[in-house]
Amino acid sequence: MSNAISRIIDTNVQPHFRYNAEIRRYLADAHKLRAIPDVEQQWYQAPGGDYRQDLYGEHYPGSDPETVSRHLFDDAPGGMGVDFAILNPPTRGNIADYLLNSRICAAVNDWLVDRWLEPDATNRFRGTIRVNPEDPKGAVAEIERLAGHPKLVQVGVPMQSREPYGKPMFEPIWEAAAAHGLPVAVHINGGNGVDYPPTFAGHAHTYPGYAAFMPLNYFVHLATLIIEGVFGRHPSLKFVFADGGYDILTPLMWRLDTFWLSMRDQTPWVDRYPSEYLPGHVRFCSSAFDGPLEDGSGGAAGAGKMQRWMDFTSKSDLLMYGSSYPHWSTSEPDLTAAGLGDEQRDKVLWRNASELYGLVATGLAAKETVK
Amino acid sequence: MTTIERVGPQTGQEDEIAVTIVDTDVHPMPVSGQVLKDYAPAEWVDKIWPTGNAANPVSYFYDTPDSYKTSSVRMDSMPPKGGFAGSDPDFAAKQLLLDAGVSIATLEPMCDAQLPQAEHVLKSTYNDWLADVWLDKNNAHGRWRGSISVSAQTPEQAAREVERWAGHPYMAQVLMTPQTRGIPFGNPHFDPLYDAASRNGFPVATHLMGQTPFELIPLYPVGNPAHWHDFFASWPLLYVSHLMSLVFDGAFDRHPELRVVFVEGGFTWAMPVMSRMDRIWEARRADLPQVRRRPSEYVREHVRFTTQPLEDADTVEFREYLEMMDLGDNLMFSTDYPHWSYDAPAYAINRFPADQRERIMRGNATALYGLPSTVKALPGERLDPR
Amino acid sequence: MPERRFVCSLDELPPGGMRLVDVGKFGVGVYNVRGALYAIVNYCSHEGAPLCLGLIGGTNESAPDEPDRIRRVRDGQIVRCPWHNWEFDITTGQNLADPRRRVRTYQVDVTDGEVYLNA
Repeated sequence: MSNAISRIIDTNVQPHFRYNAEIRRYLADAHKLRAIPDVEQQWYQAPGGDYRQDLYGEHYPGSDPETVSRHLFDDAPGGMGVDFAILNPPTRGNIADYLLNSRICAAVNDWLVDRWLEPDATNRFRGTIRVNPEDPKGAVAEIERLAGHPKLVQVGVPMQSREPYGKPMFEPIWEAAAAHGLPVAVHINGGNGVDYPPTFAGHAHTYPGYAAFMPLNYFVHLATLIIEGVFGRHPSLKFVFADGGYDILTPLMWRLDTFWLSMRDQTPWVDRYPSEYLPGHVRFCSSAFDGPLEDGSGGAAGAGKMQRWMDFTSKSDLLMYGSSYPHWSTSEPDLTAAGLGDEQRDKVLWRNASELYGLVATGLAAKETVK
Repeated sequence: MTTIERVGPQTGQEDEIAVTIVDTDVHPMPVSGQVLKDYAPAEWVDKIWPTGNAANPVSYFYDTPDSYKTSSVRMDSMPPKGGFAGSDPDFAAKQLLLDAGVSIATLEPMCDAQLPQAEHVLKSTYNDWLADVWLDKNNAHGRWRGSISVSAQTPEQAAREVERWAGHPYMAQVLMTPQTRGIPFGNPHFDPLYDAASRNGFPVATHLMGQTPFELIPLYPVGNPAHWHDFFASWPLLYVSHLMSLVFDGAFDRHPELRVVFVEGGFTWAMPVMSRMDRIWEARRADLPQVRRRPSEYVREHVRFTTQPLEDADTVEFREYLEMMDLGDNLMFSTDYPHWSYDAPAYAINRFPADQRERIMRGNATALYGLPSTVKALPGERLDPR
Repeated sequence: MPERRFVCSLDELPPGGMRLVDVGKFGVGVYNVRGALYAIVNYCSHEGAPLCLGLIGGTNESAPDEPDRIRRVRDGQIVRCPWHNWEFDITTGQNLADPRRRVRTYQVDVTDGEVYLNA
């Protein structure tokens, strides 16, 4: 056993309203009579509850800043020993009325600042500017409105979309985010909206069938951002795929690289192997479902091979710990770091996030942990 | 699963050579639409094949490199006597069996239709044509195997079609489109087909059925890319969706003898998908009473993957990945002849870890399809094992 | 040992044309690119396809100010492998996407209206 100084940045926490209708306090009068979806997805709720079982009680899970603070920032066993947490709240889905959707995003942003960021004396919470990609003008305006807030460190958009994010209608949004030095986080959204079925073969018939597949859709967003030239045109733009799925990155990027040699002349603005865009433009939040099983079952990697597996496609440079608190799949830092080498562990638990979000070391209290 | 010995007469004569390379993805074409129509029921001829100004549509919307000139095939695969690439069994035998050294090849016609009944009629027409031209008249060497194309939209009819070909000496598998219009493979909708296939010892293979002529490309969940490049790089996620459904919806428990072959959709994704399914299953066992075993075990037992198109990754890294993945019993070599993205056997063999090569190039397909260990040599072919 | 071999008379190899010479294991393709002569091995550095059977043409480069963001350049100078369509510059043997993936080139000279290959 060895002692390791370890810091931890949790890049993926979903705070919730105390109750669904609370959002209406942040909406203008013009929308008073509009129905707004609840955050709970209608089709793919986890049987038994979407959240960690111990969080059902006095408050809606993830809705009380004090409780969330304890669960994240306290040392084990009461907490996860985290130093900073990036809050990325869900909105209410890709509802048909895109202008109302943008107002919902603004309401969530105002609430986040009001309830979580301003009162936070510990200065450990950071937040996300949620925008609606289906309203590019509104999204740009929202970024301009809030980019100056020192605790809002990224822009957030849903995984769900009827067009992948490399397409041209979205580019002004990414441009605005990049201009303000804000990464764009893509996360599976709550609520309900006009979406295609979540798998390539239609609807999943089971919750696990949905949960296992849905995060993998990030790859189409990623591939189009590269192949359409969005990363090429915006050198400082960063995307964070916040639901994991990086376990499938190597196989699919290998394909994207391989076919580039054949397809280059259709998209000649892609002037390097597609995978070469990853270090400068892409990050992932960890999840409870990515990566080979350390005990060698699942037919992959096996004990001791986790380190080597993380070297493929330089994943240890791309990955950032994210708990997904208060989701039922909330994962502790040690699970994400299991089997990693010291340097990989550092990068994944805090260094990559510190660099991305400018969370400077002086703000971090070094923690001693026993490995 | 019962392996049916499906071989031509083995004479033990001197003109036999050892089977060393089995190619699990080759695309034969009818010489002309008219030839195919001769096998179709008369009342369907005008209903299935376009007429008039729509007689020969170029219907790409995701076009492969230079496809206006190449038609998505190897430029050197056009038969010298005329006709489209893959339409001349003799020339295909020369290029694939003689030149490339393939011992046995599984033929997979690409065909699909929009309406359920048309899909069934078209595919059974292709089966009759394939069995006649490729598996009979041009198979004296016994080195072609065929696929029974079936209608995904009408599984009961598909089951009867499978029964129709049961016992045929050269039909090796069932072939179904993965573009199943929103019904994933694990759905009980396909049970009659899986039942018939399993009972008759036929694996069920699936292969991209193209864009043409009826716009069958699935809508991707977050929308579709603009170029073939990223469209096809993402294509494995269709197979991932189907595989997750087969496992999580309990198809492998309903059909213990079922074997599924994912063709031309890559295979390196299988490692993360297996561990992903295992993790979710462990965390959510109560949601999956129909999944009695660990998901990755189902994959190892029930699923095969063909190898083309091989990724162009660094050889050492690629082999290391394959060793880690440990699916040496589940991969089967393929060329995709005569398509442009063809993998040459000589290139492919060096991509694999040494201790997996024999299984990938020959052993796994031989076991799955019940293939012989020797075949008749072609005139001019080397008689010594490669 | 390279040998200087007669290929054909120059008027049998007009601009845009290619002559395949049976030399070495795979052959060598001699090309006339807008009046200048070049030669590359008939073997793609990817999977060994007969490179010189591929389409001769140009390629596209990025043109951000055009509506389609693309323009045609280097006409007659690029051969696309007949299999995976990798692009090679006949005049240098380099793969356009990744110049490290090159194919071997050979010297060609024209003397008294006759084309000679050094291979």
